[in-house]
Amino acid sequence: MENQSDSLCNSCYRPFVPSDTYCNNCGFPFQGTKEEKDHHIANRTVKEIDLSDLNRSVESACNSLYWIAGINAVSAIFIFFTAAPEDQFTLLIMNVILVGAFLAFGVLGKTKPITAMVSGLSLYVIIQILNLIADPTTIFKGIIFKVLIIVYLVKGIRAVLEADKIKKELNIE
Amino acid sequence: MEELQISDNLCDHCQNKVSVGHKFCSHCGSAQNYKEVVIHSKKWPNIQQIGLFFMIEILCCTTSLLIEEHSLTTLFCIDGIMGIAALLFFFNSWSETKNILKWPGFSVWKLMGLITATILASIMVTFVVDHLNELVFKKEMEYYSIFAFHKYGTWLMFASIALYPAIFEELAYRGYLMQKLLSVVDEKEAIYISSILFFVIHFSLISVFWLLPFALFLGWLRIRTKTLWYGIFIHFFFNLTACFLDLYPLEDLFGLVFQH
Repeated sequence: MENQSDSLCNSCYRPFVPSDTYCNNCGFPFQGTKEEKDHHIANRTVKEIDLSDLNRSVESACNSLYWIAGINAVSAIFIFFTAAPEDQFTLLIMNVILVGAFLAFGVLGKTKPITAMVSGLSLYVIIQILNLIADPTTIFKGIIFKVLIIVYLVKGIRAVLEADKIKKELNIE
Repeated sequence: MEELQISDNLCDHCQNKVSVGHKFCSHCGSAQNYKEVVIHSKKWPNIQQIGLFFMIEILCCTTSLLIEEHSLTTLFCIDGIMGIAALLFFFNSWSETKNILKWPGFSVWKLMGLITATILASIMVTFVVDHLNELVFKKEMEYYSIFAFHKYGTWLMFASIALYPAIFEELAYRGYLMQKLLSVVDEKEAIYISSILFFVIHFSLISVFWLLPFALFLGWLRIRTKTLWYGIFIHFFFNLTACFLDLYPLEDLFGLVFQH
């Protein structure tokens, strides 16, 4: 049985017992110098801010999957009405699969961000390569958007891993 | 009892007792999960390695698409490069991948059952795919034409379409890729990602209806049985059946049956 105490940690506000030298929840040095205590709180605050930034990056990256689905859907409608009648059915099927896949990845991103982003990125890159082979001029169409999507997704994957690492360092779930 | 053992945990840094649920040592302040932090810091390099592997796969497959006149030489060259890449990556992670080459809990009946189910599934898929390709792309799919001129064309087709992917794609995707993914994500996610990458690299969106479930099944089986061998056999017999049906189409076989 642990002794109950009314004292709360200055850093994480969890109760501690007077015999503790460090907080068993966040590692705050109860008997350290003022500098050590300030350094601990500052370090933890910086990491919490980093974590919040990383979570925003992950959210943006997951949203970019919806953007891809939206852009694909719009271009599919345009292509459908301009394509030769004999190709319309094939194009419709292909685009329904693509839009459905990116929407599914967007939804999956809420619970399994790495799976969604790795899968979305690989599918997106392959589509761009296939378009490039079919018509090399397509590489320049919306090049800024394409680069942004790829950068967002790569940064998103890294952000998920970094956020997990910081959570482990801060010992929070 | 178990709780008593856990409560006797000692701090790795100062060797003092650390109670259950305590995340930091109350004597020296060191975090009690530094091993997990170390594992987490290795995840990004692992993802980069997976990215490099997949880029090589994409490069080989797009090269194959860029070649207008396919010949057996180009086919075997590209297959050879992809095979070498798969082997290099697999053996580069030998300490992690060696265990999946073992065959724990080997069962002849299980293997025979899986092979039978695979052959039946392949017949069904080939039948559906033929009709789907005719409906969507207005063309038939066939493998044999590139091998037809050769004296041993049939055997080369079996080697290239059945044997080669069964060994090297399994080593690459359910072997190296999945093992690396397991150091980054959990088992479920590793199955999903490896299956989606396997589907995507085949450059065929319409194959989402059979290739993705096939890859998911192989991934699940690899995790469940902790071996690559069931996957290799299933992949081999799936492709072998498709090759066989390319040489002897279902319609011809039905015709033969009904004539008699």
